[in-house]
Amino acid sequence: MNWSNLYVIFRREVLDQLRDRRTLFMIFVFPILLYPILGYGIIQATVAREKKPRIVVVVGAEYLPTEEPLLSPGGNGFNPGLLDPLQDTGPLLVQPESGKGPWGTPEWREQAIRNGTASAVMVIPPDLPRQFREKNDVEIPILYRSVDEPSQNTYFRLREILDRWKRGIVDARTKKDNLPQGYAQPIQVKGRDVATVQEVQGNTWSLIFPFLLVMMSLTGAFYPAVDLCAGEKERGTMETLLISPATRAEIVLGKFLTVMLASVMTAVLNLVSMGLTGIFLAHNRAGLAMEPTQHAAAAAGLAPPTLLSALWMILLLIPLAAFFSAVCVALAVLARSMKEGQYYMTPLYLVCLPLIFLTLLPETKLNLFYSLVPITGVSLLLRALIMGDYATGGRFFLPVMVPTVVYAWMALRWAIDQFQREEVLFREAERFNVGVWLKHLVRDRQPMPTGGQAVLCFSLILSASWFLMEYMAIQGIGANLAAVAAGQFLILFPPLIMAVMLTSSLRRTLRLNWPAPRYLLLAIAFPVALNPLVNQLGHLVEQWFPISSIIKQSLSQIMSESPSLWVSVGVFALLPAICEELAFRGFILSGLEYRRGTRSAILLSALMFGFLHVLLSLFQQLFNATLLGIVLGLLAVRSRSLLPGILFHFLNNALAVTQGHWVHGLEAAGLASWLYRNPEEGLYHGFWIAVSLLVSTLLFLYLWRLDRADRTAETHGVAPVL
Amino acid sequence: MIHVERLCKSFLDYQRGWVFAVRDVSFDCRPGEIFGLLGPNGAGKTTTLRVLSTVLKPTGGHAIVAGHDVVAEPQAVRSNIGYMSASTGIYDRMSAWELVEYFGRLYGLHPERLRERMEIIFDWLKMNDFRETLGSKMSTGMKQKVSIARTIVHDPPVLIFDEPTSGLDVLVQRVVLQKILELRDMGKTILFSTHSMHEVEKLCQRVAIIHKGELQVAGEPHELLQRFDQPDLEELFFHLVDRADHEAAMAEPAADRPAGARNVGSSDQPDLPSLPH
Repeated sequence: MNWSNLYVIFRREVLDQLRDRRTLFMIFVFPILLYPILGYGIIQATVAREKKPRIVVVVGAEYLPTEEPLLSPGGNGFNPGLLDPLQDTGPLLVQPESGKGPWGTPEWREQAIRNGTASAVMVIPPDLPRQFREKNDVEIPILYRSVDEPSQNTYFRLREILDRWKRGIVDARTKKDNLPQGYAQPIQVKGRDVATVQEVQGNTWSLIFPFLLVMMSLTGAFYPAVDLCAGEKERGTMETLLISPATRAEIVLGKFLTVMLASVMTAVLNLVSMGLTGIFLAHNRAGLAMEPTQHAAAAAGLAPPTLLSALWMILLLIPLAAFFSAVCVALAVLARSMKEGQYYMTPLYLVCLPLIFLTLLPETKLNLFYSLVPITGVSLLLRALIMGDYATGGRFFLPVMVPTVVYAWMALRWAIDQFQREEVLFREAERFNVGVWLKHLVRDRQPMPTGGQAVLCFSLILSASWFLMEYMAIQGIGANLAAVAAGQFLILFPPLIMAVMLTSSLRRTLRLNWPAPRYLLLAIAFPVALNPLVNQLGHLVEQWFPISSIIKQSLSQIMSESPSLWVSVGVFALLPAICEELAFRGFILSGLEYRRGTRSAILLSALMFGFLHVLLSLFQQLFNATLLGIVLGLLAVRSRSLLPGILFHFLNNALAVTQGHWVHGLEAAGLASWLYRNPEEGLYHGFWIAVSLLVSTLLFLYLWRLDRADRTAETHGVAPVL
Repeated sequence: MIHVERLCKSFLDYQRGWVFAVRDVSFDCRPGEIFGLLGPNGAGKTTTLRVLSTVLKPTGGHAIVAGHDVVAEPQAVRSNIGYMSASTGIYDRMSAWELVEYFGRLYGLHPERLRERMEIIFDWLKMNDFRETLGSKMSTGMKQKVSIARTIVHDPPVLIFDEPTSGLDVLVQRVVLQKILELRDMGKTILFSTHSMHEVEKLCQRVAIIHKGELQVAGEPHELLQRFDQPDLEELFFHLVDRADHEAAMAEPAADRPAGARNVGSSDQPDLPSLPH
């Protein structure tokens, strides 16, 4: 990496963007104008709505009592003593009508509500004074229309006014009859809000801020990426840049950093503008001569988040912006023109929007699964931090940050990858025909699958597994041995069919070679050496992120329904070892290796392997599965055979399935306490864990150095034999 | 300075399968000479030049440019060549000076040396009156001059011009050709592709005629005319194209082609080359 080239490219791209009126408008002018206008508009609309008087027709007002009055002395409003100064905003106009006129008929009253002449109609029965005297129960009907919001609000306000009026009447009666205060009101409910000021403030912001921050950072990355990649192709400058001595990685990084800067700037400026508008509006509302408590409520709702929250947001924003920027750059370079670039961005928005919308639902809480979901994890963490929930924030900081950084890194690798591809850089328009394309897939098969086919295979496995689980849920089939086996076959079929249809060498794609004996020895040594470490890691993960008791129960139920230990070993060890290895270390890893470094191919396939385990069984398996996936991937690549992986996988699973049995055996022989600190859960003594770590690392390093050179003998045949 | 041997470039087209864009092309180009690559549109000229400039990887054969292999040392090749085509654009929001400076810096020129070079080039190409003009405001002639300046800013020993005059008016064409001749006189190795006989006659010491991805013939123009007994380059060109089409038609069922491989444009009629002015 030549840092000077990277800097030169970055500087030029930034200057170029700063000279582009459209970019400047989107980043600087738009947010500065948008929020004040939006805020002012909302305030105006609210004020206009609040100021509009609501008309309440009181039919039969003449029957109302004079002591404990309901209406004001003039008769055109309610008794001011019955109004709540804090909540009753906007006047309620009373229009007293006689029950003998047209208002006496129900049709007339209903019609008045329907055509909006009155927001509500209250009917005072003629016998009200008599019933009052006799202390009987009186019914006062209120007519309103629930589909009309002002009418419904008027109804709620009327009920509160009548409640207060009723309480006044009851008070007067208890006083008059010398009854104790608690006679009419045996219980008084007093709610006390324990939310802190930051939580109250944060609640409003925590819903809106993450949403806006994520949206803005995507929007901010979008246009510059299209301009920098597709636009550069369209203007004919891309080829010139590619012929300069700068490497593709330098070019991509220069462009990526520019897009990321634009993304972060857009998001931050939007937030600043929104925050300032919020402060201004809060003060302004206070200035509109309302009660002090109202001022506090308004200010609490609109005041910007604290400095600490703001810092958190910016810290989390950076990997998120990096992710968006890399994805946008990789997509934009596919496009031949700016116009085509816009097309590619629509699906990106469609994928991102549901992930962002999730965070708008108050009931969505950050958990381990969400922390893995790109975008959603970051947004939910942002929400927790803005609300000042630092306990959640601290616990999930790494689970959210690490995947986000990994996703950003993978997206960046993808973008660099795109820039290396001739067919992407020099793509020409062509007519697409599905039939011809399918024919091409079969006719021009290459010995090994491509990266795209590997990803497709993984998606097929995921969706097939998902459909199986949905089907089982609909049919009411609980998890059982047959279902586990069926799940394994679903993992096997997509790669097998794809390997037969799309590749010309089944042997190379699925690594159906006989390995050197040392790899088989390694495949036996590895799972044994790793066992203490794997058990310990599983235990730690379970401590951090406990497995619910229901899931534990159903798991042990599946195990217990197995007729014999051999069946368990077959279903949980042999079957997964064959099916998952053929899929992940066979087809998928072969495809990912296509024009990609071995390391990233192994890592990517291991992550896919881990993710499948999250979907199929438990989130908690992610860490172990990914870790084992890395070792299995390296074993497959180095041995150029699937067999060591199958053996390793089988032994690893079999050790776990039969753990109870051989621990009992060891206990009987008196060896268990020598090995385990907790034989029930298979937890080894610290010494053995350290030995395990050391031996596994040494084995891994040994494997890493093994047979590196002869890998070149079997590179992918991209070109035809000439 | 440029040595090309049995160069092949094929790509996978989903409609036609494996397609040869360039097949078994060999030639040499020496310092102080302009080597012409003459062929109709779609003949494989641009693909050959893109392979030589390392943006495309050859699928067969090899090529040495300025002493470096295009596959093994692409970076070194790129540092030693200047590449220009009619389709190379310039940045709209950069001035002439900034653009040339940008590429000069990417070529790793020291700021002082870059400045000196740029002053010389701007004088030589008479670009001083539009130094600060933005790309979007330039005329086609100005843009071509900026492109030439960008091509030679790092003083590369090898220059590759891919149809640098196509689509230009005669005045601009004349300036571009004049400058290429001056560059030859400076001792540069120049590879020049065109579909215009007139330009070949005016510029090239040696020429190679390429059609349907294959090199038909290479040599000095007068020697080729003698060898094929043709009165002028235009007649020679048509003669070779006819011969190649005829041979292709005869060889179609032959077994020496790899399965599924076809030559580009085997079904399309190539555009006619422009006539000499």
